[in-house]
Amino acid sequence: MKAFGGNFFDGNTAYRHSVIAELDLEAQILCISGDTLNATLSWPLEQLRIISGAPRDAEVILTLTTNDPDEMGRDTSRLVITDDNLNSQLLKYCPSIFQTDITTGTARKVITRVTVAITALILMLFFILPKMADTLATIIPIEREIAFGKVVVTQMERLLSTPSSKELSCENIKGREALNNLVLRLTREQNLQYDLTVNIFDHQMLNAFAAPGGQIVIMRGLLDAATSTEAVAAIIAHEIGHVESRDATRHSLRAAGSAGLLAMIFGDVAGGSVIVILADYIMQAGYTKEAEERADSFAISMLNNAAIGTGGMAELFETLNTLENPILTDLPDYFATHPSSQYRASLARENASEHTIDTKKSNMESLRYLQSICDD
Amino acid sequence: MTNHTRAIINGRYDGNSPSLLRLALVTSLFTILTAGVYRFWAKTRIRKYIWSSTAADGDRFEYTGTGLEKFLGFLVAITFLAVYLGLVQMALFFFGLNLFIQPQTEQQLLAQTAAIYISFLAVVPFIYFAQYRARRYKLARTRWRGIRFGADRAAWGYVMRAIGHNLITIISLGILLPRQTFYLEKYLTDRTWYGDKKFHQDGKWTDLYKAMAQLFIGILIMLCGVALAVISSGPFFTVIFLLVGYVWFFVGIVSFRVQSFIYLTSQKTLGGDIRFTGSPFTPTIIKTLIVGGILVGIVAAIGSAILIAILNSVFQTASITSQSGAIALIVIGYLALIILIGALSIVAITQPIIQHVVESVVVHNASALSGVRQREVDTSADAEGFAEALDVGGAF
Repeated sequence: MKAFGGNFFDGNTAYRHSVIAELDLEAQILCISGDTLNATLSWPLEQLRIISGAPRDAEVILTLTTNDPDEMGRDTSRLVITDDNLNSQLLKYCPSIFQTDITTGTARKVITRVTVAITALILMLFFILPKMADTLATIIPIEREIAFGKVVVTQMERLLSTPSSKELSCENIKGREALNNLVLRLTREQNLQYDLTVNIFDHQMLNAFAAPGGQIVIMRGLLDAATSTEAVAAIIAHEIGHVESRDATRHSLRAAGSAGLLAMIFGDVAGGSVIVILADYIMQAGYTKEAEERADSFAISMLNNAAIGTGGMAELFETLNTLENPILTDLPDYFATHPSSQYRASLARENASEHTIDTKKSNMESLRYLQSICDD
Repeated sequence: MTNHTRAIINGRYDGNSPSLLRLALVTSLFTILTAGVYRFWAKTRIRKYIWSSTAADGDRFEYTGTGLEKFLGFLVAITFLAVYLGLVQMALFFFGLNLFIQPQTEQQLLAQTAAIYISFLAVVPFIYFAQYRARRYKLARTRWRGIRFGADRAAWGYVMRAIGHNLITIISLGILLPRQTFYLEKYLTDRTWYGDKKFHQDGKWTDLYKAMAQLFIGILIMLCGVALAVISSGPFFTVIFLLVGYVWFFVGIVSFRVQSFIYLTSQKTLGGDIRFTGSPFTPTIIKTLIVGGILVGIVAAIGSAILIAILNSVFQTASITSQSGAIALIVIGYLALIILIGALSIVAITQPIIQHVVESVVVHNASALSGVRQREVDTSADAEGFAEALDVGGAF
């Protein structure tokens, strides 16, 4: 049998032994002998394992598999051979040389840890954090919440402003008067928890939002899309619904808790930030959809109590439906942060047919005045 | 090769760009396809490549960590952090809200915004904890001549010292940075082992001021620029000085890292009598950073331009099918670009620097290495999991 020269490290000291290794096919062992070795070693061929890494210049590193405590399940000794011919010989006579030996109990360990981790994460993201957010939202002192809400509104204003128009709040006197009257009409005798601050921002977006502590902002774009005062009333009532449920505060608290968690799970994966945003979006979407539905039904009862018809509300949703981007509405349901506009319109229509209001007697504010609030 | 260790041994690195590039691209692809699960195995394979490309006295280093180990350690870390971070972040956020007063001025507004981000503070101790544990894991899974390296279980000591020193450095506006650099390096080194021999860091922290020379020059030039602006001797000179100073400052940062590495290495001993010298050349490293950076930058720019062009075409066309097709193309293209940039960075910047530094290291009185005895296996439960979870792991 051909003998191969090499280096041997016995795994007990860092001494480098110069050795000769011989394949003994009859006894199925690899004999390792050297002047500095105390005794010739016999390594059974079936226990031979190659140390992987990056084979260079036909250098091959061998050791034995072992059940002794070792991070790789390998003996600590190393045999380093630099001979081309050895490779083919080894593959021929040592079939287990590339085997990865899995220690018993590994599968169990993996399954246990994965299960525990996933359970902990699901518990945190879908139960504990939301519950904490809800509880904390109720015990935040209202003054503090209002202060935070004002900050959010200011930050939004910065986000939406352009160099030419920094101050977005619309202050036309007649428009403001009409708006205040409308809000009073809605909130009279309703015993709301929060004092409301309603503002219109001079921005073309078709949107409105409620910041913590009763801060409501409606964009001029959405205001202009309304075809009747009833529709404007519906927008305001919907946002009041969010205010009373403290949705914005709870949402911020939830986001604060889960944002960090999600970033942690997906880590520094290429495109990880995309996955994080996506995951967070899906998670919040279900929650916000529920909140939107609640705000809608709150709005409908508020309008009923104020003797305002919900026909305008339905018209508004139908208008929004035609304006919406078909791609976004074709997305699966769990992506949507709002119930579909058609659905919301149908609910409002249903209510309108149950509660008929005499529009002549209702004495609504002029839509013209309301929509002029952003004129100088 | 003699079987007696020479008195002086050199570091060698024989990794090459094609092999590492191929490895990086393949492992990144698998990582994305598995939504990130494969990243533990990917990092392990790249480490195995880099470790086994490094040799001292002709004997290769060996990385004995496994992807499975890293993955399991990660699970331990996120289980803990999920509970801790989730609760603490929310509580801090809650208290942050309570610190508010009615915002009247711009300053108060900023203060409030900062208060919201107080939640970050909960994480800082764990970041240092994770860094120490990551280093300990890498050492415990490194072998040379079959003998393990290692580090003491001293993570929390490191956390406290790191926080303390960073505070001092910040308060001193950076002037006491050498003190931080020296003492943190000393803490780590004095707890590092090769087999049964311990490393030791000698030296004085004041000696590191020499290493800060270029940094100071850069700052000085920038200050001259500011002074010129005040005296108003014309915008031309001011801009020149500020620009030169700015660039010099960044060169100074690299210079500080290299020079402090040289000094600290020369003051390290192993087992009392084995010594080291490292002499990387700052201009070489800067050249690698610039050239590599430009290469990666060009690829990033071209790739982004292509993606943006596709994005624009999305807005032009009306049909939904071609729109969603284009969007899918953009997502795939974006991920492919990120893979490419990551792989190129490690090949064009990280590996050349590793090669340069490794081949500049010399071990003196190395014959004493033959007597080093084996070290027991270190079974730290988190296997660098915290560093993965908190994203403070290194490039490799």
